[in-house]
Amino acid sequence: MSPPQSGHAPNLSVFKKSLRAQSLESSIENLISLLKRRQIKNSRPCAIATAELLLRVVARFRWTDIGKLLARIQEVGQRLIQAQPREMVVGNIVRRVLGMIRDEAKEDRHEDMSDSASNMGSPHRRLERATLSGLRDQPPPTFSPLRLDSSKTTPPTINTDKDSDDVFGSSVGGSRPQSSHRPPMLTSHPSYAHLNGIPVQQSMFNLLSATPSPLSTPPGAVSPAGKTTFDAANLAYRVAASSKDLKAEVISGIEEIIDELDQVDDQIAAYAQEHIHSNEVILTHSSSVSVQKFLLKAAEKRKFTVIVAESYPNDHEATHAAVTGKLNGGLDGDDMSTEKFLKPLSSAGITVILMTDAAIFAIMSRVNKVILATHAVIANGGLIAAAGARIIAKAAKVHRTPVIVVSGVYKLSPEYPFEFESLIEYGDPGSIIGYHDGALVENLEVDNPVYDYVPPELVDLYITNLGAHAPSYLYRIVADHYKQEDINFHNPELLF
Amino acid sequence: MSKAGGVKGAAGANGKGKKGGNGGGGKKEDEREERLQAVVLADSFETRFNPFTLERPRCLLPLANTPLIEYTLEFLAMSGVADIYIYCGAHTEEVEKYIHASKWYPLKSAASPFNSLEIVKTTARSVGDALRDLDGRDLITGDFLLVHGDLVSNLPIDAALAAHRARRIADKNAIMTMILRTGGLEEHRTKSKGITPVFVIDPTQNRCIHYEEMNPLQANKYVNLDPDLLKEHTEMEIRTDLIDCGIDICTPDVLALWAESFDYEVPRRHFLHGVLKDYELNGKTLHTEIVGDHYAARACNLQAYEAVCKDVLARWTYPLVPDSNLLAGQSYKYERGGLCKENGVVLARTCKAGKKTILGKDTSIGDGSLVSNSIIGRRCNIGKNVTINNAYIWDDVSIGDGSTVDRAIIANEAAIGKSCTIQAGALVSYRVKIDDNAQIAPGSRITRAKRKLNNSPEDAKATEEVPSEPSLVGAEGQGYLFEDEDEFSDDEEAAFHSTLIYSTAHLNISSESISTLSSEVSEPPPTNSRSRLSSFAGSISDDGEGGTSNEGFHHDAVDGLLTALKENSSLEDGESSKLEFTGLRLAHDATDHQIRRAIAVAFSKRICQLVDEGTDVSKACVKTFGVTGAERFLKTVAVSGNAEADQVDFLACLEKDLGHRAKGDAVLAGICQRLYQMDVVEEEAVLRWWEEGGGEEGSKGENEKKEGEGEVMNVRGKTGVFIEWLEKAEEESEEDESE
Repeated sequence: MSPPQSGHAPNLSVFKKSLRAQSLESSIENLISLLKRRQIKNSRPCAIATAELLLRVVARFRWTDIGKLLARIQEVGQRLIQAQPREMVVGNIVRRVLGMIRDEAKEDRHEDMSDSASNMGSPHRRLERATLSGLRDQPPPTFSPLRLDSSKTTPPTINTDKDSDDVFGSSVGGSRPQSSHRPPMLTSHPSYAHLNGIPVQQSMFNLLSATPSPLSTPPGAVSPAGKTTFDAANLAYRVAASSKDLKAEVISGIEEIIDELDQVDDQIAAYAQEHIHSNEVILTHSSSVSVQKFLLKAAEKRKFTVIVAESYPNDHEATHAAVTGKLNGGLDGDDMSTEKFLKPLSSAGITVILMTDAAIFAIMSRVNKVILATHAVIANGGLIAAAGARIIAKAAKVHRTPVIVVSGVYKLSPEYPFEFESLIEYGDPGSIIGYHDGALVENLEVDNPVYDYVPPELVDLYITNLGAHAPSYLYRIVADHYKQEDINFHNPELLF
Repeated sequence: MSKAGGVKGAAGANGKGKKGGNGGGGKKEDEREERLQAVVLADSFETRFNPFTLERPRCLLPLANTPLIEYTLEFLAMSGVADIYIYCGAHTEEVEKYIHASKWYPLKSAASPFNSLEIVKTTARSVGDALRDLDGRDLITGDFLLVHGDLVSNLPIDAALAAHRARRIADKNAIMTMILRTGGLEEHRTKSKGITPVFVIDPTQNRCIHYEEMNPLQANKYVNLDPDLLKEHTEMEIRTDLIDCGIDICTPDVLALWAESFDYEVPRRHFLHGVLKDYELNGKTLHTEIVGDHYAARACNLQAYEAVCKDVLARWTYPLVPDSNLLAGQSYKYERGGLCKENGVVLARTCKAGKKTILGKDTSIGDGSLVSNSIIGRRCNIGKNVTINNAYIWDDVSIGDGSTVDRAIIANEAAIGKSCTIQAGALVSYRVKIDDNAQIAPGSRITRAKRKLNNSPEDAKATEEVPSEPSLVGAEGQGYLFEDEDEFSDDEEAAFHSTLIYSTAHLNISSESISTLSSEVSEPPPTNSRSRLSSFAGSISDDGEGGTSNEGFHHDAVDGLLTALKENSSLEDGESSKLEFTGLRLAHDATDHQIRRAIAVAFSKRICQLVDEGTDVSKACVKTFGVTGAERFLKTVAVSGNAEADQVDFLACLEKDLGHRAKGDAVLAGICQRLYQMDVVEEEAVLRWWEEGGGEEGSKGENEKKEGEGEVMNVRGKTGVFIEWLEKAEEESEEDESE
């Protein structure tokens, strides 16, 4: 990052700073134009910017009614998505926030109901809370279902089984209402539980054994009409009484999402040693902080070889930098980001081979595993990744080489785009041919797709911060993370 | 890192807090640096986009369905500029209305990334006037970006800005950094055609040490370098491959320089050239930042407009491409192959909307139509079996069944009938209606704009409706052929750049080739009663021998003198005009010969004008030389000191100039006679000139030599009579003396 007096161009860090000074409306517009101008791009910066902005929206919004807050966030979210529909994380974050607010509101409602002895909430938790807090009007912020939800997505300590048992034992109640309505699906994938052997899966096991609670309908599903009318009336009353606390909880919920974005790569990296073994040959592609951390973590204990395809022309410089460690300027312009402090692969004791994308097929027979980074993961289990990813996946398929995709859950989008072409962005041809060559510029048509779509059948395993999943299982995580009614919030005509 | 990372609004305070330890001086400096200012020249004071700019300001013309100024403002927003001053010339109200309603206006729109945005209204007639005006307003406090309102760029300027600041801190005389894009040595669509800018750069310091513009009409293909430059600089690059995108990072000193030189009008040919030449005097250095990636270009004329459109279609300007939907309300989506469609486009099943095409909202295309490499605006109605290729069609246009449009620009609300053919290079302006089956010839410019009344220059607002020309647009059509009558531009580039398709053919109405340096290169047709333009056009060709370095002088001198002659007044005060002339001369470091040439050209041109208007040759001479003060002016300035050599030179200049003019022979005879009578030239000089004959022609270069000789003889034809008479008179006087 150049010294402050010369860096006038706005980027993520400038945007974050400006959030404090600017009015909300101009912050929103500012982010919209930054997204349009691609001055904030790639999944993580977009996700962080969106979360920070929504934090401001909630903090400055004076609501009297939870519905209004939801409407406001939906409105902001629609504008952001319209600005850059290809950055799917923007929509994901908005949906997460919406879902969290709904949960908060519901929890308030349940509490009220449990007061009035109509015990609709999940029994153990309500009991537990009642004994813990004693105060019934004030929802204890530490035990919101959101809290449990997000602690599930960001397990604080994943490696120690004892700890996680603790956490997830209590999280069962929170996640049950969303998950327990689809037991057949779970039974259809029994093998993954032991395949991964990680805490989340364990909690899933608990789910299976647990008795379905009265509230077996998922929050988004159609609830009985009588109940909704009662809820609406009740909700307004409740919110008026406790909106301030609700606000604090929503804000802390968004902060947790931001924390998750910070930690997600390290969480993914925690699984590295289970998947990378000694003397393996790993093929990877382009530069990705997630993959880099994943490999570095594995390198702490094991010796292996990494073949890096340079992903010319859009990302080759960053790829070279990731290998050799000469990063010039933060990848996303954020001078405080951690990637500047990352050790290059070559200095971590990994044997690194850099090669062109064209040689992928030739070398595939020697490769034990392919690890791909991703831009976005879509609900069918396919992914949008840097251009070239599809050839790699296809070549791996031919050679029966397993393909592992490393991705934070925040990249997982509930959208199921029927036209994959529309997700692929075309960039500047300047990285392929020089603009100074007049004859080429005049006579050639140059396409420079930035992304590739990799269909789910080419992917063997996803590793997220929740653990490892098969592509066909992703819809479940989608259902856990996003509420049904939020999935199409950005185009209301698709809402039923 | 620090708090002072360019936070808008609170920047000043943060800057102080951070750099407080730097001592007293540093603090002030810092505050100045925190906010980046920019000046947008929304009007470049040219008429190259005529006839479209007759009715709308240039910066609001759509490029890929987005007004030009949007691209410029996006670029500035991308660069993190805080304060913007927009200078407008023509149509200021429209620009103001547009900006105030746009998202950029900070007082009304929360979306504006700028701290302040001011539209400065001036009566400026040139870039120079605008910048001098800016200097007077005291708005600029620190480094600022000077850009034009037609800039399209995705260039990150942080590096250039940092380099500029580093240089300026090291040496406060480093006042300006120009950003130039390499364009390769071969032909390039985005490079300026016709006019080639030549930058001489010292690569060790990134310093520009000489600048010139060359054009194909110019006889000598040389750049004149001061030999001292070779002594001072160990390395030197002479580059003609650069695309000048007009992004200048300036310090306020630049404005001061503009203010000092009241005669500078354009940023490059005058200012840059002049300041570099006067390096000895002012000691200011101008630097360059040559970039080899990203995109930067100006849509400064129609050819550049087309090139930039193509670049946008080919996504060179990414992310400033249609599917980024920069403008609120746009909904473009990009499909593989380069079709960019907005919502609500209606395509018939059998039509083909093909490659590199942009279609605006609610446009419909009928069965069997073919559209490729084109940009079509919103709400257009394209009929059946229409072929559109390489065309730029703006909003609300309708094109009837079976028509063909090839490489043309069709402006808003124009209506093209059925089975019409619009051929390459045609410009169809606002609301023009073309009847069925019409053929529009290549390069025709059709408009419905009200024409300014020619005869009342003092009442510039007076306009008149121009009757349609049925022969052109059909019986039911509306529109007339536009001619550049109101061209005030004394810019020779206009000769190259007023058409969509670059060619030199149109420059030459007479069939002489360009290389003969015909004075009539772009002389308007004889029906044109305002002939001021001809003087400028003529002067292009006259550069031939004076060296382009002093073409500025020649220009100004001829211009000034002609006006004076025409107005019949200014030479009255012989002393002042002489002084003015001397001033010009010193400013440009012109030689005596150049001065004589300028005077000769001015006078001969004026006489030719009068002759063209129907005045008798001898009367025209009498009238021109009869201007009060003209005699004294000629005697003192043109042939100072009565030296014979000067007089011979002056006559040679006259001869050469008249060689290219209609009726030059008669005029030359008339002038010689008149000059002799006025005692400006003496008979010895006349005779010597006659004898030396075509000696001067040698310097005119290879090409025109052959034809030049013929012309000279032609020109001399009628003067022979006068010479004979002179010789006779001399003999007689000698006889008298001997007797």
